[in-house]
This record gives sequence, structure tokens and C-alpha cells, in this order.
Amino acid sequence: MSLLELKNVSKIYGDLHALDNVSLKVDTGEWVAIMGPSGSGKSTMMNIIGCMDKPSKGEVLLDGVDISKESAKSLTRIRRDKIGLIFQQFHLVNYLTAVENVMVSQYYHSMPDEKEAMQALERVGLADRAKHLPSQLSGGEQQRVCIARALINYPELLLADEPTGNLDEANENIVLDIFSQLHKEGTTLVVVTHDPEVAEVAQRTITLGHGKIMKDMINENFGR
Amino acid sequence: MFFRMIRGALTRQRGKMLMIALTIALGASLATAMLNVMLDVGDKVNQELKTYGANITVVPKAASVLNNLYEVEGGETTEGAYLREDELGNIKTIFWAFNIVDFSPFIDTEVSLPGGGTATMVGTWFNHYLSLPTGETLYTGVQNLRTWWDIEEGQWLDEVADGADTCMVGAALAKANGIHAGDVIRVNGRYADANLRVVGVYDSGDDADEQIYAPMEIVQELSNTDGYLTSIEVSAITTPDNELAIKAAKDPKSLSVSQYETWYCTAYVSSICYQIQEVITDSVASPVRKVADSEGAILEKTELLMVLITILALVGSGLGISNLVTASVMERSNEIGLLKAIGAPDRSITAVVLTEIVLTGIAGAVVGYFVGFGFAQIIGHSVFGSSIEMKAMVIPLVGVLVVVVTLLGSIPAVRTLLRLDPTVVLHGR
Amino acid sequence: MTKRKMFFRMITASLIRRRSRMLVALLAIAVGATILSGLVTIYYDVPRQMGAAFRNYGANMILLPDAGNGAFNSQTVDEALSLIAADQIVGVAPYRYETVAINEQPILVAGTDMAGAKAASPYWFINGTWPENENELLLGQEVAQILSAGEGDTLTMVYTLSEADEDNPVSQTSEQRFKVVGVLETGGSEEEYVYISMADLEKLTQPAGELDVVELSISASQSELEGYTQTISDRVDGALAKLVKRVTQSESTVLTKLQSLVLLVTIIVLALTMICVATTMTAVVTERRKEIGLRKALGASDASIIWEFMGEGLLLGGVGGLLGAGLGFAFAQAVSVNVFSSSIAFRPLLLPITVIVSILVTGLACILPVRSATEIDPALVLKGE
Repeated sequence: MSLLELKNVSKIYGDLHALDNVSLKVDTGEWVAIMGPSGSGKSTMMNIIGCMDKPSKGEVLLDGVDISKESAKSLTRIRRDKIGLIFQQFHLVNYLTAVENVMVSQYYHSMPDEKEAMQALERVGLADRAKHLPSQLSGGEQQRVCIARALINYPELLLADEPTGNLDEANENIVLDIFSQLHKEGTTLVVVTHDPEVAEVAQRTITLGHGKIMKDMINENFGR
Repeated sequence: MFFRMIRGALTRQRGKMLMIALTIALGASLATAMLNVMLDVGDKVNQELKTYGANITVVPKAASVLNNLYEVEGGETTEGAYLREDELGNIKTIFWAFNIVDFSPFIDTEVSLPGGGTATMVGTWFNHYLSLPTGETLYTGVQNLRTWWDIEEGQWLDEVADGADTCMVGAALAKANGIHAGDVIRVNGRYADANLRVVGVYDSGDDADEQIYAPMEIVQELSNTDGYLTSIEVSAITTPDNELAIKAAKDPKSLSVSQYETWYCTAYVSSICYQIQEVITDSVASPVRKVADSEGAILEKTELLMVLITILALVGSGLGISNLVTASVMERSNEIGLLKAIGAPDRSITAVVLTEIVLTGIAGAVVGYFVGFGFAQIIGHSVFGSSIEMKAMVIPLVGVLVVVVTLLGSIPAVRTLLRLDPTVVLHGR
Repeated sequence: MTKRKMFFRMITASLIRRRSRMLVALLAIAVGATILSGLVTIYYDVPRQMGAAFRNYGANMILLPDAGNGAFNSQTVDEALSLIAADQIVGVAPYRYETVAINEQPILVAGTDMAGAKAASPYWFINGTWPENENELLLGQEVAQILSAGEGDTLTMVYTLSEADEDNPVSQTSEQRFKVVGVLETGGSEEEYVYISMADLEKLTQPAGELDVVELSISASQSELEGYTQTISDRVDGALAKLVKRVTQSESTVLTKLQSLVLLVTIIVLALTMICVATTMTAVVTERRKEIGLRKALGASDASIIWEFMGEGLLLGGVGGLLGAGLGFAFAQAVSVNVFSSSIAFRPLLLPITVIVSILVTGLACILPVRSATEIDPALVLKGE
């Protein structure tokens, strides 16, 4: 059974069809990259999948639930319970330490647990930076804190928006390594990017253009 | 381009700029209201203190003492033993005429009552209509100088409506003689008798409770002193005494010419007394210390209190404004970093930011000034029942306050931001 | 770690690590709270302090003998004074009047307690000094003119103990020499008397006589004064208390105006300051829209976001309120010392009131922008740089 399914989804702003009748299925454990130039509808799709926006038309099934009909309040709950978000600009709370930023996510989800948060940071290789504020961390480190935060509640879907957009190559590789590790552990990954190198390492690449799916291909080199 | 950037900031960041303008308007209105009230409070409280009655008494130079102590009744009107009625109007022609709020002449005589007792009968003005040589007209008299009287029966005597053959009787005397408002009593003076209708009975809490107050002409008739007075009470708005005034009060001749000028042209109680003596023949005008001194003390304290409250309000609004301005400048670290990154010199960044803030500040201050003036009027009308005078000096004061405070609030913040590395600012670290 | 612990950890982290911004907010709240507590303290203290200034007008109550109802002497006065709160009594001046002859002229002499007269009639202006020793006198200005006497002169007072009649052909008199140490100027009838100490008068008249009148200067409200006159007249035999209407009535008129002036000023200053505090808090919160958006994206419910921000606001309000209550008292104290040269009583009730008002204002100022921030779409906030 697929974890995520979009059925004839459209998002219309006035005359603009940001998404035009898109249908898509993502299976549990899949690693999907969504590509496309600016204005192709990437962000809109990301927002809809991330429960931060609702489609104008069509259905979005997440884990069998149609989220397009849910209220804002229950969307918040679904987001909290099932989705881990990673942003291009990291968006860490700047007055909280790395470990506290991870705990914020736990706090809204269930119970804050410092030990568990530390383990999550260890996993992204940041155990020694746990007590640092975001301003004391490099971009790559901040993004890894973001990933740790996204993972802490074991989400069914990890949704990353240009996760390497603000990173240099070395840090980009670290982040992609973590993704690949997560994929091996069975996490479902959806990565929105315009960087072909990031798309290449994914299992499947979907290319958007003018709000439609232009290309949907399985990466043959995957896993090598 | 400079103006375009400023216009852009002012129009596009409308919400934020409105917020700053609002805060500045609040601060400015506070400053305006307090400054206006502070500058006017002296006059207003002075007016209120007039409820204590006259602060100057005028008596004839020679004989009042003899009159009082030896009970020499004025049969023959010796020169210097009385004041002249026809000179009364002169009081409103002195240099400080405008400060003379009320005045009233007095003439008293002993009368005997039908019951056999005697009483002092005081002739005076109640609500006398006065037409002055200057063309000014006013109503003055004891009704304004005896605000603490309680009318127990009847009402205040009205000179025009009630006519001359009327009187008001003190409560103690009325009780002792069974007199009530509306009665007609017969009084026997030394030279004549009269039937007087009692218009009101008053409770004064002092010697006047044993006396009869009647219009002046009837008392002059009873004592055969037509055209003469025994004393005048004057209620004047005065400036609290200082050392100069005390020195002058002892002997005006001891002053130098310039000191004399200053003294004569300041509304000290001593200079007003001096000027009254100049226009009333053979008179001695002296301050009623009880009233004059207390007025000075109360005025001084009230003014000082208002000054301190005003300072608190000014400091408070100043801190409030500069605080918010600092916060709003700090918030623009990104914009400033960006301007630096694209090569803008520090000076022009500072100029743009400061111009915006000061323009916003001035807009806020203008609104604030009018709002604050409104507040001052609310205070004036609800406390004193009269408007607060608009003082021109408040405008530059508030203007300077707002500009200084906004600059003080923004310059350190801008300098801090300029010192930052643009890359750091832009990366939001 | 419990949720509550994390809640406080986040709040304290926000307050401590965002130091400069929080100082801005704290400063605003503290200034507001200072103004609140300072002005309210002054407002409550004005009648007391101003009342003292009004005592310059002199006596506001007099005690008179109640004929046929017991003696009117210093014991009677003490009895009456015991009914008045001791700290309200500003001055007590007993007077006993007698007619004496000086240079063959009849003059009214008043025996009094000089210190009491000085306190009860602060407006008396003395050319010279107050009598301090035996056989010194104070001359009223008018008497000085009649006698053509002045400071430094010596006068002989003759008091007639008993008139000449059939049994005693010669009238009995007593004599005393007095030194004039001061001339009294008041602009009122006080200038017609000669003042000597009560002890000197009793020496002159020999038997201790009764008092004629006692002037009291009491720092109390009109209604309190009325209460005192009632109880004294009722409970003290031989004495009748009366208010000096000219003074009490006028004082209450002027004092009411002054107090309403301070009240109105307080209200306006407070209202404007509170709005100022609110706009500053609003600005501080509005700045954090992005953070609110992030928290929403992480799955925070609106209620929990509002609570977190309110928590911060309330904590700030509390600390700022405490700070302001202290500073405000210091301000009121400074005003009191400068204007009235007396210290002010600390009002314990004002402390919780200041803190609560600060918390309320801060809370209200935070809740509006936070609420509007929770309504925005998290995606929009997060997307924009």
C-alpha cells in the first residue's frame, strides 16, 4: 500500500494553476526527489504534502487518510504525528541550543526527553555540539540539527525542502549520506530540490513543469 | 534614490512605521498635556485659592486703630479717618488691575435692635455692578469674598433685585433674636432708623455670625458717613514672595532702580499693596498674611509637584519612544546588512534610516501635540472648569524632545548594526 | 523531563538568550510600572502632604468655654486633645485675654504658649524674635503704633486686681516690666494685641484664670474634623469645639480640586504609558512571526503557542512590575522629600497591584499579535527569508 497518494490534485491561485491535475503515489520506504525549475509547482506540492496547505481540487491520501478535507487543527495534528520537515533555511529557534531545538519537536509531539534528543544528535554526528546555539553552528551543522529534529518523533514521512540549498559540497555530502542511511532504515523520504546532484542519489525522480508532472523515472544507478 | 528609498520604507512598511508613529504620538501627547498643564497650573490653583477670600486689606492711614480700640464713632468725618468711596474704582486702574479678582468696601456701625441688644452692622457690596473708567464692567462684592458662608435660610442678597432696605443676618444673632429670613427688622442707628427686610441668614463660623450685613448706602445713612468707608478687602492673584519682595515690602525706597522696576512689575502682594496705596488717598494696604503666605506655600508646592510629575512623564515617554525605535532599528539588521553588502557607505545607510525615523517621529509628534492639547483641556475643564491656555513654548519643547529621543533611540542601534559583518547578518546567524 | 519543565526551559531560554530584545520589553514594562506605582503613591499622599501645606492658614478648629458646664483650663484642653489623633495635631495655642494699662492706655493683652502659637499660626510675621524668656513680649503692629514703641523698648504693664470701692479707697494693682522683643505683623486683628507667655500673665493677674479660646491646627479631612468637634463638644465638660469655617471649607474646596487634578493627570499619564508599553510589547512579539510559523510547522497547536508567548510575557510583566514598583516608590519618595520635605509611607497593597496590572497589560499586549500570528499560514512565513 502506498503511504502517500495524490489524486487529480490542483492548486489554483486566481488564474495561475500552480498544480494542475497531478496524480502521484509514493510507497512506504521510497526515496523520491521532486525536481523542477522555479515556478514549476514544487513548493506548492511540498506545502500540500506537508499539510501546510490544502489543494483546490482533488484528494491527498496520507496513510489512507484524505488530508484535503481536514480542518486546520487536525492538519496540525497530522503534521505533528506523521511528518518530519527539513527546510532550506534550517529555521532553528535561535535562542535555543541544538538539543533544545530537537526537544521542541518532542515537546509538541509528546514528551520532551533529553536523552533521546541527544541520541538523535549523535546520529547526525553532532553530539559534541549539542549545547551550542544555532548562531555558533555552521550551516551544515544547523541543517543536521534540523534533520535530527525532523527524525526525533519517528515520522512516517520525511519531507525536505531544498535541504542542501544553503550548504557547501562537503556538508551537502554529509546530509545526503544521512538521507541514504535513513533510507536503508526504511524511512520514506520526499526531497524537493532543483539540484540534479541531489536528485540523482534518490531512488526515483519526479520532474515538475508548469504544475504538471513532466517526467517520473526510477533512478537506475540507485544504491551504487 | 535617497528619497525613493525613504518613501519606499515609509509606504511599504506602513504597519511598522504606523506603530512607531503611534508610540511617538502617545509620548508626544503625554508631554504636551503635562507641559501645558504644568505651565498653567499656577494660575489655575491661584484662582481656586481665591475661595480663602481677600489677601489684601486697605484701611485709612490714621484712625482705624482708634476706632476699634476706643470705639470712637465717626460723627464728624475727619480727614484721614476714612477712605473715600469715589476712589474705589481706582483699584481697577493700577498696573496689576487685571490681577485684582474681587474687591469690596466696608463701613460698619453699631445699631440697636428692637429686642434691646446691639449689633455691629456692616455695610458692603454684595454683587455690585461696577462700570470702570477703562470701559470694563464687572460684578464684585462679598458674595465672592465670603465663599465659606453657608446660607441657612433664604438666599444671598441681590443688590438690584432686593433693593437697599434689606440685610443678611448672622446665624448666632438671628438665633438670639428670633430673626428669620423674610422678617422685617427695625434697626436704630446713631443718626437714623431703618426697616430692613432679612433676605438671608448665614453661618460664617467666625465673628460675622454676630453681625448684620447690609448694602452700603443704608449703613452710611444710619451712621451719617455718606461717601466714606472704613476698609476695603481686595482679592488679587499674586506671585509667591521672594527675597526681593520681602526687601521691598519693608521699604520700597531701599531698592535700586532696576530692582524697583522688577518689583513694581511683578505681581508680588507687596507691589500690589504699594500700587493700591498710590491710588487710594491716605490709605494703608497690607497683605493678609494668613491668606497671602499660605497661597504662596500652596502654589509653590503644587507647581513643584506638577513639575516633578511632568519630568516623570517626559522621562517615561522618552524611554518608551527611544526603546521602541531601538527595537525597530535592530529588527532591520537584514536590510542594513544587504545595503552594506551592495556597497552602500555607512553614512548613507545611517542617513536613510534616521531620516525615515525622524520623519515618522515628526508625523507622530504633530498628531500627539493636538491629542495632548485635548488631554490638557480635559484636565482643565474637569478640574478647574476652564480651558488650559495654549502655551507656544510647548511646541518647540515637544519637537526637540521627540527628535532628540528618536535620534538617541536609533543612532546607537544603527551604529551597532553597521559594525556587524554583512555576511553574518545576511546569513541570519 | 516533563512538558512543564520544557515549557519553562523554553521561556527562560528566550528571556535570557534574547537578552537585548527582552531588555527592551522589560524596560518598557518597568517604566510603565514605575509611573503607575509612583503616581498612585503620590495621588494617595497628596491630601496628607498638601494638608500640611494648608496648615499655613493657621487654626482650623477652636475650643471655646461652654459656660456653666465646667471649668475651661489647661486640663480641659488636655482632655480635648486626647480625643484627637496625636500625629494630626500641628499646633495648639491657648489664649487668655485681659485688659491692662500701658502708658495709661488700655491695651488688650493675650497670654499664650509661644511655641504653640508659632506652630498654630505659621503666617505670623515677626519683626524681631519670638519671646523666649520671662518678661518678654510680642507687640502687635497696631499697638506698636499707638504706643510708639518698638523692638528693644521696655514697657510697664499695670493690671487692676480690684477696682476702688467703698471698702478699699485705693484700687489694687499689680505691675510688671516687659521687654519688647518683636513686633507682630499679620494684616489681621492679631495686630491689635500684646502677647506674653501664659506664666507671665498669671504672675500679673495673680489668680490663675480660665482660658478664653484655644486655637487648634489639625491636619485632617473636613469630615474627620467635624467628627472631632462633635466628640469634643459631647465628651469634654466645659469645652465647645467649633470649626473655623473660612479655613476648613476653603481647604476642602481647594484640596478636592488638587486631588482631582492629580487623579486626572495620573489617569491620563497611566493610560498613555500603558498603551506605550502595549505597542512596545506588540512590536517585540510581531518580530517573532517567523518563529511562530516554525512552531506551527513543527506541529504546535495554536493554544500551546499562545501559552508559550503569554508565559514569557507574564514573566516579563511580573519582573518589570516588581522593578517598577520599587522604582516608583523611590520616585514618589524623591517627590515627597523635594516638594513636601517629608517622607512617604510605603503602601504594601500597591506592590501586588502594580505587578498584576503590569502582567495584565503585558499579557493583553502579547495576546493580540500572537493570535494574529497563529492565524497565518506557516508555509508563507517559512518560505520567505
